[in-house]
Amino acid sequence: MAKREVPEINAGSMADIAFLLLIFFLVTTTMDKDTAYLRTIPKKVETQQPQSPVQEKNIYKIAINSKQVIQARDSIIKPEDISTLNSKIKHFYLVNRDKKVNRNIDYPYYAFGSIELYQNNLNAQNNRLGALESQEVIDEKTEKMIEQALGAIEQWSEKLEMMKLYAQFSGKKEMPEIAFEAHIRLESFIDTDYSAYVAVQSEVQKAVTELRDKEAEELFGMSYTAMNRTYQQRITEDTPELRTFKKHMELIETLFPLKLIEVKPKR
Amino acid sequence: MSKFKKNDEKGAPAINTSSLPDIVFMLLFFFMVATTTKEIDPLVRVNAAQGSGVTDLTPFKQRSEVDFVYLGEPMKGDASKFEKGIAVQYDGILHPDGINHIGKWKLDKFKDKPAELTAPKENIITCFKADEKVPMGMIFTARGILQDLDFNSIAYSAQEMGNKTEYSIREQ
Repeated sequence: MAKREVPEINAGSMADIAFLLLIFFLVTTTMDKDTAYLRTIPKKVETQQPQSPVQEKNIYKIAINSKQVIQARDSIIKPEDISTLNSKIKHFYLVNRDKKVNRNIDYPYYAFGSIELYQNNLNAQNNRLGALESQEVIDEKTEKMIEQALGAIEQWSEKLEMMKLYAQFSGKKEMPEIAFEAHIRLESFIDTDYSAYVAVQSEVQKAVTELRDKEAEELFGMSYTAMNRTYQQRITEDTPELRTFKKHMELIETLFPLKLIEVKPKR
Repeated sequence: MSKFKKNDEKGAPAINTSSLPDIVFMLLFFFMVATTTKEIDPLVRVNAAQGSGVTDLTPFKQRSEVDFVYLGEPMKGDASKFEKGIAVQYDGILHPDGINHIGKWKLDKFKDKPAELTAPKENIITCFKADEKVPMGMIFTARGILQDLDFNSIAYSAQEMGNKTEYSIREQ
């Protein structure tokens, strides 16, 4: 018997189907990604204790008025010159870094931590805790002090870990730490435009990211941005690689903290 | 002469279109990969503010850890009905209370999600997608409400401006 040939399937309408799908996707999706600046609102405080004022040198004040003119410390910046903020903020961070003498008194000072210093502090807190716990009567006051000591121990051991990591990668014995209180203070008016506010946020973010990238590149040979991106995409996984990324990022964030205080407008 | 006559009678040969589906499928797959689905239809006009060094929210969206609030002029209807001419869009609606509704909206959204799927309250980001001209006073009102309810993560939406150095800021 002669073999019957399989008739060819007409694929002429395949293109039509594909076009339909294509057009469906074109209509229901968008190209632009959602991008934003992530910020946190400080937790509300219950107690109304008067807080001790922060020293002028530790504040970098940026104010935007309702005409989008910016005042950064003593200089007035017109809206078209916003990009000069970048170098000003970097200057604020870097001017006293690695300096122990001849410091500029208008900018935040740096403290220098070392493994010995942190180890000593940790030991001191441990001794204090031991002394407190061995007391015969443990009243409310002692309990509070024990809690404090435990908190301090946790803090110092975290710092010690970071210091060890820093020493391991930089080969230096001392880690420069910017003054704890140093921050950028962003003030705006009720009528300040969103775009101007975001532009200042952008400059602050850019300056700090560039500082972090440079430091990370020097220490770990990989930029902070790249580490952060990988980390955010795979945050739900728990691999050793991700954990080292997290540690490295934490170190970089302690070296260049982004402390931005956004003040509620009054006018 | 007779040669030419013959050709005329035959007509043009059909073009082979068998690879057309392949090409279209390629395009289709490109768009499927390169785009993201639209969340909702916008009811307010938003000209995005620009900035550099922005964070991509896609991973947060995939984990549904981000809620969007849209602020801008309404596309339809009278803008003067709204405070300062700026309408606030929550999911599919323009709420008449404007920005003051944000607290109730956030709480409802938080309660609606099944308990095992919700991230901790302070990790859920509230993203403000605001028009360039939106006054900051409104955003700070929202911040105050969110602070009272312990929703501590917020985001200011902005478009990556790439290599441009000029920000688009309204001159006055």
